Amino acid sequence: MGMDRLKSAGYRKPAYLLILLNVLGFGLLFINKENNYNLNILYTGAAVLALFLVMYTALVLGRMGDKFIMLMVFMLISIGVLLLCRINLSYAFRQIIWILVGGAVFFIAYFVYYNVKVWSKLWYLYFIGGTLLFLITLVFGTTVYGSRNWISIGPISFQPSEITKILFIMCLACYTSGSWSKPLLGKVKPKWAALLITYVFVGFLVLQRDWGTILVMFSIYLFMIYVYEPDKKLLALNICALVIIGLLGWRFLYHIQVRIANWIDPWSDISNRGYQIAQSLFAISSGGYFGRGLGNGSPYYIPLVHSDFIFAAICEEMGVFGGVAVILLFFLIAYRCFKISIMASDPFDKAVSFGVTVMFALQTFIIIGGVIKMIPLTGITLPFVSYGGTSVVISFASMGIIQAISAKTERKGEPDEHK
Amino acid sequence: MNTNKRIIRVLVVIALLFLALASYLLWFNMFRAKEVYTNSYNRRQWESEQHIKRGSIYSSEGELLAETRISDDGTRTRRYPRGRLYSHVIGYSSQVYGKTLLEMSRDADLVGKGNIGISIGDNRPGNNLHLTVLDYLQEYAYDQLDGRHGAIVAMEPTTGQILAMVSLPDFDPNTIEDDWEGIMEDKSSPFLARATQGLYPPGSTYKIVTSAAVYENGRTTETFDDPGVFKQGDVEVNNYGGEAFGNIDIKTGFEKSSNYVFCTLGYEMGAESVRAEAEKFGVNKDLEFDIPTSKSEIQYGRMTDLDAALVSIGQGGLVMTPLHVAMMASAVANGGKMMKPYLVETVTTENGTIIGQTKPSVLYESVGPACASYVRDMMIGVVEEGTGTTARIDGITVAGKTGTAETEGGEDHAWFVGYAPAENPKICVAVLLENNGTPGGKTAAPIARNIMRRFLNE
Repeated sequence: MGMDRLKSAGYRKPAYLLILLNVLGFGLLFINKENNYNLNILYTGAAVLALFLVMYTALVLGRMGDKFIMLMVFMLISIGVLLLCRINLSYAFRQIIWILVGGAVFFIAYFVYYNVKVWSKLWYLYFIGGTLLFLITLVFGTTVYGSRNWISIGPISFQPSEITKILFIMCLACYTSGSWSKPLLGKVKPKWAALLITYVFVGFLVLQRDWGTILVMFSIYLFMIYVYEPDKKLLALNICALVIIGLLGWRFLYHIQVRIANWIDPWSDISNRGYQIAQSLFAISSGGYFGRGLGNGSPYYIPLVHSDFIFAAICEEMGVFGGVAVILLFFLIAYRCFKISIMASDPFDKAVSFGVTVMFALQTFIIIGGVIKMIPLTGITLPFVSYGGTSVVISFASMGIIQAISAKTERKGEPDEHK
Repeated sequence: MNTNKRIIRVLVVIALLFLALASYLLWFNMFRAKEVYTNSYNRRQWESEQHIKRGSIYSSEGELLAETRISDDGTRTRRYPRGRLYSHVIGYSSQVYGKTLLEMSRDADLVGKGNIGISIGDNRPGNNLHLTVLDYLQEYAYDQLDGRHGAIVAMEPTTGQILAMVSLPDFDPNTIEDDWEGIMEDKSSPFLARATQGLYPPGSTYKIVTSAAVYENGRTTETFDDPGVFKQGDVEVNNYGGEAFGNIDIKTGFEKSSNYVFCTLGYEMGAESVRAEAEKFGVNKDLEFDIPTSKSEIQYGRMTDLDAALVSIGQGGLVMTPLHVAMMASAVANGGKMMKPYLVETVTTENGTIIGQTKPSVLYESVGPACASYVRDMMIGVVEEGTGTTARIDGITVAGKTGTAETEGGEDHAWFVGYAPAENPKICVAVLLENNGTPGGKTAAPIARNIMRRFLNE
């Protein structure tokens, strides 16, 4: 039965498009004479394609839910690796390893989430886990680019706050799905406990000066209570709190003042604080509509171009239209994920997929908006495109969860294959 | 189900956020990218020059005005042999402070961006620019200005070719990197290209346009009893020196530059008519030129008839660039057709092949030939027996108009704009002496005369 599915054009055609993108992209980079016809470029491209074909085939044959998300995710991954190849080949190699690990984590997350049935009862574990991660970071963490949010274990360093975000979403989902119905300690209603947990997490993040994650987490909380909380006063109060905290931060916190000043006018301090964003805008402005061509730009001028600022490099080499296409890809993924959330019948699944989707979409919006100077810059990675282990692995893990929820919906009323 | 409905609403919000990203990106590319790209901190601009020798710039006679020299260690220096003379025409090209004027607007030509061919070696030559500017006339005009703040624009009315264009104060583009701080702090703004970017009230020179409106409104035969002052509402405008001209017609009013006559005409023709005529001559419109220009405009949101009275004598909310004043008179000289001004005659490759040539083109059909000859006759009268007799040249008929523009809190600007020979115009000159405090007929007109005479004798 599975083989017939693979043969149908509906599954194959989009895969051909992706293969075409990879062949053209990596082929063009290879024949660019600046790269000295380095065969490693072709190997990298082949590795991306191989990983895609394995994962996609597994999804289709195993009937593991939505098939478009993986296609679009690999479209983004291909664009990301293509640019990494062109910025620094060693980043591209390491990114391939991370994608391999991420792919494995994707399937692990999928099977674990699919088969464990008690997720909705474990809110305290998520809270404790999240708190522990914060404490570990505060004690052992290293400061990178002004934020103390990295942990190094041997040669590997990662950002625990990426994991915390998912724990946080699952914790909120326990509350919004109604499975956490008993008051905390016999007194505190879940509604207030969830509020408390949010503020505790935000408080930890303030200590780490991780403003991007604060913004993402707090927005997830706001969207969650907008959708689930019948008490609209709570939403209004939280928005007021956000505004007040934001204004206080702007008034008293040097870090935030600098970010806002750089957003309003990066040009007056261009050789110092405005340097990064100005370099990003130079790159975008030099691309025009169709870009300078893959391999023809000068993305090296942009600091952090391989991670947070990779979108600027996309605009420089693939043009504003290329950038808009990437934005549309992100939106389409978010759209598919929202659809999965709407179709999900289990309230906990619905809440988790909703939360993860909002996280994915907001993260994308915040970093792209920052890089193009539409909003103040907060350093977070662009999911699936930026270089970085934590980012790639966690993005895959969250997609694994969504995939599992989608598979549950797809197989409703059928005998279960995965048990 | 209510939850799903709200999830869809969140989806809509997210969709709007992403739409905002895409729109902002497109907006940025359409309206901001060019300015951002030319920021001097953008190292991409210099990449294209790593392997080329930037093209040279020559005057109309072939005098070298700008060149790039490459020393043995590969260092590139931009040299301007004529020093300050062309600072407000060519601008500068500096690794530190970027590029301005022609160096910026013609950058693609100078670095040979469109040149097809494989580069061999390190120093592929860019293209050269050949200007319409006559070096001898540029130098002569520069000397005529004699250090006074102001601007001179000389152009050929029938083609729009700029023959000379000087703005003072200026700077030396050879030493821009050393002088930068001092120039930036200088209150007289040496970086302001007054001829193209300075905005000044044109004063009575603007009566040229008002006369065209008078002709088109069919009011040429009217006579006035000039008491020496125009009073209406809370507006009071004196003639220059408060002189009362008594019973005069429009031609005499033009020759003597009666503010009473022209304020009255402007007031009676009304705001709409005055604005419409101004726009026929390109006021309120962006002027596309080889180097950046400021927009001459009537700076009123809603113009009343009283405002129109002031605009009619070149005061009130009206400001123009000296270049535009020269174009205004050139339109009259050219039978009512305003030509598009230009500075670059040809673009050639290193070995002299012409790859680009500017062809004269009509910018606006400002007025008809009959109207133009009506205004011309009055302008001849100004030089023969009016306020501009100091612009007379023996054996040649000169047409012109003086102006003395009042400024807020400063000394008057002295203006003269004129062309010669009136029957067969070859050159049109606009002279502005900024805050000079003298009447235009006394100081500006002789400068214009000298330049026209020098050019016609050549």
